Amino acid sequence: MAVVETSSPGAAPKTSLGRAAEERRTAWFLTAPALLLMVVILLAPVVIAGVLSFTNYSLGNTGFDWIGTRNYERLFTRSTYEKMFVATLTYVVTVVPISVGLGLGAALLINSLGRFRELYKTIYFLPVMATLLAMAIAWEFMLHPSIGMINRTLEMGCGTVLETVWPFMANGCAERFPVWLGDKRYAIWVICFIGIWQGFGFNMVLYLAGLTSVHRELYHAAEMDGAKSGWDRFRLVTWPALGPTTVFVVTITCIRAFQVFDTIEAFWPQGGGPNKSTYVMMFAIFEKGVQQNLIGIGSAITMLFLAFVMFLTLIQRWLVERKVHY
Amino acid sequence: MTRDWWKHLILMLGVIVVIAPFYMMVSYSFKSPGEIDRGEGGFFGRQEMMVDERCVKLRDPSRDDIAAAAPDYPGLSDSEIRDALVSAAEADCSMRPVVFNYTKAFTEAPLLRYLLNGVIVTASIFLIQVVVALPAAYALAKLKFWGREAVFGLVLFCLLIPVHAIALPLYIMLAKLGLTNTYAALVVPWTISVFGIFLMRQFFMTVPDDLIDAARMDGMGEFAIVWRVMLPTAIPALLAFAIFSVVAHWNDYFWPRIVVTGNRDLFTPPLGLREFKGDGDGSFFGPMMATATVIVMPLIVAFLLAQKRFIEGITLSGMK
Repeated sequence: MAVVETSSPGAAPKTSLGRAAEERRTAWFLTAPALLLMVVILLAPVVIAGVLSFTNYSLGNTGFDWIGTRNYERLFTRSTYEKMFVATLTYVVTVVPISVGLGLGAALLINSLGRFRELYKTIYFLPVMATLLAMAIAWEFMLHPSIGMINRTLEMGCGTVLETVWPFMANGCAERFPVWLGDKRYAIWVICFIGIWQGFGFNMVLYLAGLTSVHRELYHAAEMDGAKSGWDRFRLVTWPALGPTTVFVVTITCIRAFQVFDTIEAFWPQGGGPNKSTYVMMFAIFEKGVQQNLIGIGSAITMLFLAFVMFLTLIQRWLVERKVHY
Repeated sequence: MTRDWWKHLILMLGVIVVIAPFYMMVSYSFKSPGEIDRGEGGFFGRQEMMVDERCVKLRDPSRDDIAAAAPDYPGLSDSEIRDALVSAAEADCSMRPVVFNYTKAFTEAPLLRYLLNGVIVTASIFLIQVVVALPAAYALAKLKFWGREAVFGLVLFCLLIPVHAIALPLYIMLAKLGLTNTYAALVVPWTISVFGIFLMRQFFMTVPDDLIDAARMDGMGEFAIVWRVMLPTAIPALLAFAIFSVVAHWNDYFWPRIVVTGNRDLFTPPLGLREFKGDGDGSFFGPMMATATVIVMPLIVAFLLAQKRFIEGITLSGMK
């Protein structure tokens, strides 16, 4: 190619100009479908939701009224929506740290093993692959108050020392064990548990990938500097080296946690659990916007939801730019 | 190994919790209703012959049946013929619980249809995603044009928007176009994968320019370059993306739940299972768990066969 350019120095700029124009045309031609779809499918809906959140629109109505910020006011004053925020935040605040912590713990344990690493990795990753709705139904059977495996297992503990050392057991054996999904004290925690069960394997795999990039020499260096215990080595070498992985894992777990829906819809098709204790945002959008056709309020929740998610991602990008190496 | 026993202990406890629902799902899909109720039978159940009550009830002999069967049972009274017919029906309707559960899974609801829908939807989503994303990724990575930075900036911005989050306005748009309860509704929102564009662009950046220049020298157009030069080099990345995409959409429940209402012909596997559960009168645990097993298994088996690729694909979102 170099030969072509040097052999005809006079003609080169002209043809390359023509080429540039053609390249530009092709480039736009190649990106056009993607651009169009991005605008129509991703950007337009955000704008539409933004606009509709200030109206009382319903599907099927010809017109709508502008009602200002009344939808948002409702979100922050009605007790239903207070429950929505409580449920969503409880879920996110519980699931994110625990599933990230368990993912990290499992990755560290597995990474330190010589044998069976692949086996553990495979098994812990199974829930990530499985259809969550199907697994939710399996969990529902496990948690069945009378014939479920959980309560049956607990019943086996009756009459043993467990009863004396664990008030929960004593209570369960004397009266009966919880109905789990029907009890507002337990419902949200069961949902959290399933969320953690499903997601921690994903975090584990990401951490395992992160661990392979920690240099061995760093551990030697730390040992030279007097980091004798395993905890010291973790604190001084592993954890800082995993910084970027952690930022990513936390963000993606957060975003997924905000989107929890399948389990809740499977357990309580109506109303979001006992006493609305599991009425999370995605379910609220579905119930208000789609089922009850209250598009205005549904859009307002959508906007709030988007704000949360974008805020989180922007924090993540900002942290990555700063190259999190504490 | 001996030094690590406590690690294995902890990990084994984790394994029990992780496996429990899978174990139960598969085990229940083998057992008879009685065994499920009483919690007996180990993993496989005892597989004793069981009689399908519904099947017997359906074949409950009417007066005409008895009259028609009379020549076959010479010298018997009507009630004796009736008893004979009922016991014949019971014999025909008895089967092993595992057979019962899985046949019911496929006959109570059009499970095959659901699986086919799942395949159609996930396959079309993936194909369209590739057709849209690949040329754009190529242009963003290898062509110089005014506005490239702006387009890429837009891609980065769109990465912030999870499609599930904007489900409501998308649903309104589709409803206005009269597209709810169609395959289009299931596929359209996922046709644009900004993540796919981003991923393929990063991959194409690593493809040497010489390869493209050589193709141009051979007289290939840009369009041909995308499909005949870039696509083959991108196979590993595409495979990972395929796994990512297929797993996400096979398992997706939220979006199908919104746009498909009532029309069973369009149900994806998770929707079918959901309806099965809604219909259940409680005695149908076995067939329901068989349905769940059938829905979960394809991906699990594929995963077990190609673990490395799957883990790569699913954790793609971790690539930067």
